[in-house]
Amino acid sequence: MKKETLIRAIAAALALVSVPASADAHLINTTLGDFYGGVLYPLSGPDDVVPWFALAILASIQDPRNARWLLFVFPVALVGGALLSVVTPALFISPAWNLAVIVVTGLAVAAAAKLPFPVFLGLGTLIALLHGYHNGQAMTQDTDRLLFICGVAAVGYVFVTLFTALAISFRQGGREWRLIALRASGSWVAAVGVIMIGLQLRTAVPM
Amino acid sequence: MPLAPAFAHTGTGTSAGLLSGFMHPITGVDHLVAMVAVGLWGQLGNPAIWILPIAFPLVMAIGGLFGVSGFDLPFTEIMIAISGIALGLAVAMNIRPPLWAAALLVGVFAVFHGYAHGRELPEAADPLAFGVGFVIATVLLHLCGILIGVLTRWPVGAQLVRASGAAIGAIGGYFLLSAMGLVT
Repeated sequence: MKKETLIRAIAAALALVSVPASADAHLINTTLGDFYGGVLYPLSGPDDVVPWFALAILASIQDPRNARWLLFVFPVALVGGALLSVVTPALFISPAWNLAVIVVTGLAVAAAAKLPFPVFLGLGTLIALLHGYHNGQAMTQDTDRLLFICGVAAVGYVFVTLFTALAISFRQGGREWRLIALRASGSWVAAVGVIMIGLQLRTAVPM
Repeated sequence: MPLAPAFAHTGTGTSAGLLSGFMHPITGVDHLVAMVAVGLWGQLGNPAIWILPIAFPLVMAIGGLFGVSGFDLPFTEIMIAISGIALGLAVAMNIRPPLWAAALLVGVFAVFHGYAHGRELPEAADPLAFGVGFVIATVLLHLCGILIGVLTRWPVGAQLVRASGAAIGAIGGYFLLSAMGLVT
C-alpha cells in the first residue's frame, strides 16, 4: 500500500471513530422488535413447538399433494387465530383443546396414518388457529400487532416447512427403521399429551 | 439498605421444567438401567426393535396418568426394581419370548415407570416441559440400549451385551433390596 493511501485510510478511520453514532445490536429501536417478538414467542416453550413438530412429521407421511397445502394453510390460519385474539380477546378456549390436538397428531404419526385430505388439513388448521389465538394473547397495548402477527406466521411457516422437509429427507434413505423412528417420535408426543390431559383434569377437578 | 442476593437463574419456568424432566430418568439409576435394558432387549429380533419404542411410551403414558391423578399405585419402587432384574436377566440369558409376551412384560413395567414420572409432574416448574424432558431422556436411553445391542453382531460383543444384562439385573436386585428396606 502506498504511503498516501495509507494516510488517507487512517484519516478516514479516525474521522469515523471521532463521530460515534449509537450502535444498535438489537433491532428494537428500528421498530422491528415486535416482529422478532412474534418469531421468538412460540419458540420460547414446548406448547407450540411440540405439536408443530408432530404436525410436520405427519405431513411428511401424507401424500405430497395433500401435504403441500399445509404450507399455505398453516401460516394463514395462524394469522387468522392471532387476529381473532385481537377481535375477541376474552374468548375462553379450554387448554384441553391444545392437549387433544397433541394427542391426536401424535397418535396419527405413531400409526403412520395417511389421513383423508379434509381431515389432515382440518387438523393443521385447527392447530394453527388455536396457536395463533394463544400467541396473539401475548400482545400488549404497546405491541405493534401487525409485526408481531407477521413474526408468528413467519416462524410457523418456516418451522413446519423445515421439519417436514427434514422428515421427508430422513425417510428417503429407504430403510424401514427410519419410518419407525418417526413413528416412535409421534408415540412420545402422544404420550406427553395424554399425561398432560391427566394433569389438566386434576387441575380442573380439585381432589 | 438491606441487600438480598440476586439470582439470574431461579429454577423456575420452562428451562427448569425441561431440565428436571430430562434428569429424572437419568439420575434415577433404577429407571436408567431398565430403559437401557429395554433397548438392549429390543435387539432380540427386528420386530421387537420396531414395536417396543412405539408401544412403550403409550403404555407408559397410562402409568403417567395414574401418577398425575394422585392415584396410589402400590409397589411402584419394587416393580421398578423388578423390571431391572427381569429385563437384565432376559438380556443376560438371551431369552427370546414371543413378541406379544415381550411387549406385555415391558408394557407392565412401563406403567410403573410412567407412574413414577407422573408423580413428579404436578410439582414441576413447567409440567409440559417436564414431560418433554423425560420423554427425550427416555428415548435417548432406549437408543443407547439399541446401539449397545448392535455389538451382538460380533461374538465378543454378544458376550459383553449379556454381561451388561447381568449387571443390570444385579443393580435391579440392589434396588429391590433397598425398596424392601433390607439395605440402605
